[in-house]
Amino acid sequence: MAVRRIDVRERVMAKNDELAAEVRRRLRHHGLCGFNLVSSPGSGKTLLLERTLEKLGERLSIAVVTGDVQTQNDADRLAKRTSRLVQAVVTGGACHLDARQIMKALDEIDLSKTDLLLIENVGNLVCPASWDLGETAKVVLFSVTEGEDKPVKYPKMFRESRYAILNKVDLLQHLDFDIDKAVSYAKETNPDLQFFFTSALTGEGMDEWYGFLEAFGAEAHI
Amino acid sequence: MHELSIALEVSRIAQDYVGRDQLRKVVQLGMDVGEEAGVEVSSLEFCLEAVLTQPPFHNVRVVIRSVSGDVLRLSYLETEDGRSKN
Repeated sequence: MAVRRIDVRERVMAKNDELAAEVRRRLRHHGLCGFNLVSSPGSGKTLLLERTLEKLGERLSIAVVTGDVQTQNDADRLAKRTSRLVQAVVTGGACHLDARQIMKALDEIDLSKTDLLLIENVGNLVCPASWDLGETAKVVLFSVTEGEDKPVKYPKMFRESRYAILNKVDLLQHLDFDIDKAVSYAKETNPDLQFFFTSALTGEGMDEWYGFLEAFGAEAHI
Repeated sequence: MHELSIALEVSRIAQDYVGRDQLRKVVQLGMDVGEEAGVEVSSLEFCLEAVLTQPPFHNVRVVIRSVSGDVLRLSYLETEDGRSKN
């Protein structure tokens, strides 16, 4: 029987990107910035967000969306630090958040009363790099317990991110970790990466991060 | 790990074409996957096999072409439906 070829040539991510564009449009409409925090599990995203909500929560109205494969543990932790409802997305096995989930979460958030959107993605340095959520920028976290070569092992994530946070710097004195080497690897992958060096636990370096977010939050609704 | 999500999206796009062109039997599905697309090809093949089990995709042959960049695209479908080309 004759075989007939049908040209499709459709991008697999087209639907997600369409929804991400809609998320971006909604954020822009309200003059908001949204940051998508990505990292491997255990690098300190949740503690960083807890501290951020504690520090900035009174000055900025911060909406938070968290993603986890199972449990709402992170959302429960963050809910204790903010008066706002934390939108928890349990992906039920999926290794990343997608734009459809963010769109749905935004339906539950009053964006007109929000100054900043923070998204805590599923802990995974591979998959979330491929999914545009409509964020203003991705912020990649890694910690000094993970090895300097994370940026070259997971280049796509560092390439897709505009900002990088090297966390847990309070542990440097106990480790053989070379910060210059880590930054050099990261810049090799993405020369434009802007770095923050933090310990969410002790507060070291966190003021720069707070100041950065505050500048974006203060511009909301303008 | 996200190859299953990708396979499901490929299936959704392919189903659109099946409906649009009233395809009864798809014998081959071709994809272009970039070297920097963050996709594990063998895992994607496995997931596509798991997803494309029902007619008109039963026994479909999946052909994945490796290309440069971060391209991730459903390139073509081949159908065996007795209709001549165009």
